[in-house]
Amino acid sequence: MSKKIGVYICRCGCNISDYVDVEKVRASAEKEADVVLAKTMVFACADSSQKEIINDIQNGVINSFVIASCSPKLHLPTFQAVAERAGLNKYEYVHANIREQASWAHSDDKEGATAKAVQLVRAAIAKVRFATAIEPIEIQTQQAVLVIGAGVAGMKAATSLAKMGVKVYLIEKEHFIGGRVAQWDVLCLTEETGKDLVTRFYNDVVMDKDITLFTGAELIESSGSKGNFKVKIKITPRYIKDFCEKEKMRRAIEVCPVEVIDDFNFSITKRKAIYHNFPSQYPLVAVIDMKNCTRCGKCEKECDKIDFSQKEKIIEIDVGSILVATGFDPYTPRKGEFGYEEYDNVITLPQFKRLVAINDKELKWNGRQVKTIAYIYCVGSRQLEGENKYCSRYCCSTTICAAIKAGEKFHDLSHFHFTRGIRTYGKQEMFFYEASKQGQVFLQSFEDEPPRVMRKNDRTIVCINDILTNRREIEVDADLVVLVTGMVPRSHGRISEILKLPRGRDRFFNEIHMKLRPVETVIDGVTIAGACQGPQNVVEAINSALSAAIKSYSFVSRDTLQVEPIVAEIDAGLCTWCGACAKACPFDAVTQINLEGKEIASVNMTVCKGCGMCLPVCPVNAIQLKTFSDDEVEKMIGVLAQEL
Amino acid sequence: MAAVEKLSFDVLVVGGGIAGIETAINLGNNGLNVLLVEKDLTLGGKMIMLSKVFPTLDCGACITTPKISEVARHPNVTIFTNTVIKSIKKQDMHYFKSLLVRNPRYVIESACTGCQLCEMACPVVVPDQYQYEMVGRKAAYIPFSIACPRVAAIDIEHCTLCGACERVCPPKCIDFTQEPIEFQVIIKAVIIATGFNLFDPAQIKRFQYGQAKNIITAMQMERLLAPTRPYNHVLRPGDGKIPDKIAYVLCVGSRDRTVNNPICSQICCMYSIKQAQLLMGALPMADVTIYYINIRSYGKGFEEFYEQAKGMGVNFIKGKVGTISEKENGSLILRYEDICTGKLKEAEHDLVVLSAGVLANQDATGFFSDDRWEKDEFHFARQNDLFFNPALSSIEGVFLAGTTYGPMDIPDTILSAGAASMEAIRYIKQMALKI
Ligand SMILES: Cc1cc2nc3c(=O)[nH]c(=O)nc-3n(C[C@H](O)[C@H](O)[C@H](O)COP(=O)(O)OP(=O)(O)OC[C@H]3O[C@@H](n4cnc5c(N)ncnc54)[C@H](O)[C@@H]3O)c2cc1C
Ligand code: SF4
Ligand code: SF4
Repeated sequence: MSKKIGVYICRCGCNISDYVDVEKVRASAEKEADVVLAKTMVFACADSSQKEIINDIQNGVINSFVIASCSPKLHLPTFQAVAERAGLNKYEYVHANIREQASWAHSDDKEGATAKAVQLVRAAIAKVRFATAIEPIEIQTQQAVLVIGAGVAGMKAATSLAKMGVKVYLIEKEHFIGGRVAQWDVLCLTEETGKDLVTRFYNDVVMDKDITLFTGAELIESSGSKGNFKVKIKITPRYIKDFCEKEKMRRAIEVCPVEVIDDFNFSITKRKAIYHNFPSQYPLVAVIDMKNCTRCGKCEKECDKIDFSQKEKIIEIDVGSILVATGFDPYTPRKGEFGYEEYDNVITLPQFKRLVAINDKELKWNGRQVKTIAYIYCVGSRQLEGENKYCSRYCCSTTICAAIKAGEKFHDLSHFHFTRGIRTYGKQEMFFYEASKQGQVFLQSFEDEPPRVMRKNDRTIVCINDILTNRREIEVDADLVVLVTGMVPRSHGRISEILKLPRGRDRFFNEIHMKLRPVETVIDGVTIAGACQGPQNVVEAINSALSAAIKSYSFVSRDTLQVEPIVAEIDAGLCTWCGACAKACPFDAVTQINLEGKEIASVNMTVCKGCGMCLPVCPVNAIQLKTFSDDEVEKMIGVLAQEL
Repeated sequence: MAAVEKLSFDVLVVGGGIAGIETAINLGNNGLNVLLVEKDLTLGGKMIMLSKVFPTLDCGACITTPKISEVARHPNVTIFTNTVIKSIKKQDMHYFKSLLVRNPRYVIESACTGCQLCEMACPVVVPDQYQYEMVGRKAAYIPFSIACPRVAAIDIEHCTLCGACERVCPPKCIDFTQEPIEFQVIIKAVIIATGFNLFDPAQIKRFQYGQAKNIITAMQMERLLAPTRPYNHVLRPGDGKIPDKIAYVLCVGSRDRTVNNPICSQICCMYSIKQAQLLMGALPMADVTIYYINIRSYGKGFEEFYEQAKGMGVNFIKGKVGTISEKENGSLILRYEDICTGKLKEAEHDLVVLSAGVLANQDATGFFSDDRWEKDEFHFARQNDLFFNPALSSIEGVFLAGTTYGPMDIPDTILSAGAASMEAIRYIKQMALKI
């Protein structure tokens, strides 16, 4: 069948037409062989324009088409869907990006931008001449989801998915679930404590027979694609059997001679090498921390459930989607940053929150009573010099809230907030209002002149050049200095490498589209939820968990899924199996097979992502990428290189 | 009124802004039958009116239209525009009953081709609400070029019944005999996505909005900067001059007890910074100054975006604006307290943009006459279980999406819509098990 090509050139309102003479582009396209129609459109993506294209196809005017508009990243799927609705195969449409690549890149040179747009469209026309219908690859889906991280986001996602009838594997790297929320006392905005909330989530998790929870579990390998991932999980044992008696366990812990820093309390207390959960940490079984255990055997004598013979296990499971909810770490200040680890009464916000939680009658630090507290904001966030340029979002509200709660628990505290401009966005503004009304003092430093922490006569002094009082130098003699530390992505081991999940400049996981697709990633089938995507508070993390759950659900709710057929193809006649392609493939999609006595390479179509890495390394040119064959690419380059 | 028509769906989604659209798509993709009800003539809410969006600077129309077109053609989604909800009532454990009235467009929707000939023929000109009254439109009109549905409507209040449109319409789809149609809809769950209202700055007399000609709201500036902009350039509305000293006044109607809105609107700092950046592009010679209390660039990529604006030369002045007064030449004098120096100062600008805040849309209160619909102290819908189920309202089976429950930007709206969808599906599944 002869090609009847339609070319649609989008003005993008005026995003394109302000710099590119779209009429000129249209006139040039119209002159190309096989082009039967060339139109400009105000917004090609608008519903009415889509209808127009569909009509042109259905009326038999065209049988393949080129859209010249914005980046295909934005609208390739939109126009592929247009093709399909019109009854055309979606690979019979080719996209030319004349916005990001022409109009926006050359807004200072309209003629140049137009000339480039003309060439880009001609190249697309050259490519669409080759276009043939190809069918997507169908795969059987695994009706199960792997959720990584059992903080509140992970648990919420897991229970929601399970309630939809999906099998869920919930894995947690630590031996206790609950993530950071377990560590918080009363949460802002309600009277609920972190423990209460975690208990509610945990009860939902354990009561659901469709959820299998693994603690001490880490993802170590993953292969496959959306709908069908094969993952390997390493499980570290607790070295304690279930159902041990409370009293025996208490004694076992008591006799353990090893004391280490307790991460749960952010290092302000110590724990033993065999340790129990805090009341907010589940499951309610103790664990032996083998990194620090000296195998002295004392605990074994007290409790018969201790079992050093338990072994690390590796299990393999098949899932259709992976939901990553690995959360955040509080920023750790450098030694000397605002006196941290230099003066003994400088602590971080998480430490302060634990301190308030574990102190009862009086607020004490290092045995001394605390009356005056100085909070230094934006530590590890909004850095002028460091890497963390971002605002950590949660900390202004959380700090003010923590100060209010501390004031309710311990009377006569004075609070001095050394801020860089308070960001209690939305309804959280009420905390700021409340604290100001209570007489808490808010000061603000200049952007390039952060507050200083120093020692004078054995006292810790925080000093600021304050914007709010007309550059007055103010000094506060503080019993306790709280560094309001921001969020950094939790050290997730190798998850980002294993899943090939890209991270942003801020090192948080990157979504596909910050505005419209905040929980999906470029790796189809892998979603992200909660603070691993960027700083978030609890409510925001739960919203994101539910959103990620519904996206993950869409990968497993049907029996089969279609994957892109843009994959590498091996010419069995040419291939001599040298193995170069297998080494080049970042997805392990290439294996060696024997075809009628000949050793050749073979591509696993469901694993291949069509990245093209294997093509240039083949010494005999035996590999072609579907829809990007050498012929196609050469023709396109030929057109682009032509003088106009 | 014509006889009541009876329909049934799984879910009723009220509000066709980005929250309602995203929710309807999510639900539809998971096999639920959805009725999406929008009171306006077109889907899209505020988002479709935006120029570009922070912090990605994607063109607002370009990222909204595909969503709209996805929902519009979704086999599981039925859309009623120009429709109001009369009531929503819980009938029994499993069902709600809702009464809706679909108001007439006086145009046969299925026949209209959107050719705009009626618009050209119509002799009546009234202020265009979609361009925030900066230009006029006809009484017979299509809301805007990317409206969905892209179908004409007759503004019967202003129409003189001259019949000019009827005479030119090629498919003869103008129909003045149309009447409101009442529907009775049975549904299993409801999503409230009715969005927010913008604070009306005319309430603050000392800012002179509505009095001085060259003071506009940020939403009007969105229109001036949008691809489908009214003047095809950024101009002062007073005299058509290209402005070269533009001021932004932040927190207008937010963080302000005198207008009963003590909370922060969460989006205005960022949209103002965005507009400032766009203005630097559109008017390279112009000075842009932002008067703020605190800059709240808290979200992913926001702080970097703020730094970028500073780098581009946007002036940021920490200071509260006291009064704005108009000079004879149309320029404006801002009196403000410069916090960094502690002095009262004055500055002259030739265009002032008021970054008006977000207020609750309280329509839903009227839907649920005898059920327990609760609001928070700021009149937003109350979230019944904030941490555990943020999407849950005070009524079982009614879920919240988007700015219905508080100010938020587009990404947070998308997340809340995902949450509402997931909760609604789960609820329906669970209820199906109960007899
Ligand atoms: C000037 C300005 C600039 C902005 N810029 C940005 C930006 O750059 N980036 C960003 O992320 N965010 C931006 N925002 C915020 C963004 O507009 C909101 O986050 C978003 O519109 C919220 O969507 P929504 O669906 O909740 O509400 P809305 O957009 O308000 O939609 C609500 C919909 O419900 C309909 N409705 C209302 N009541 C009823 C009823 N009773 N029955 C039926 N239907 C009803 C309305 O007609 C409307 O269509 C900006 C906001 C403003 C004001
Ligand atoms: S939320 Fe507040 S404390 Fe935290 S980084 Fe942002 S501005 Fe600083
Ligand atoms: S977002 Fe900024 S402008 Fe808007 S109310 Fe909050 S502080 Fe004021």
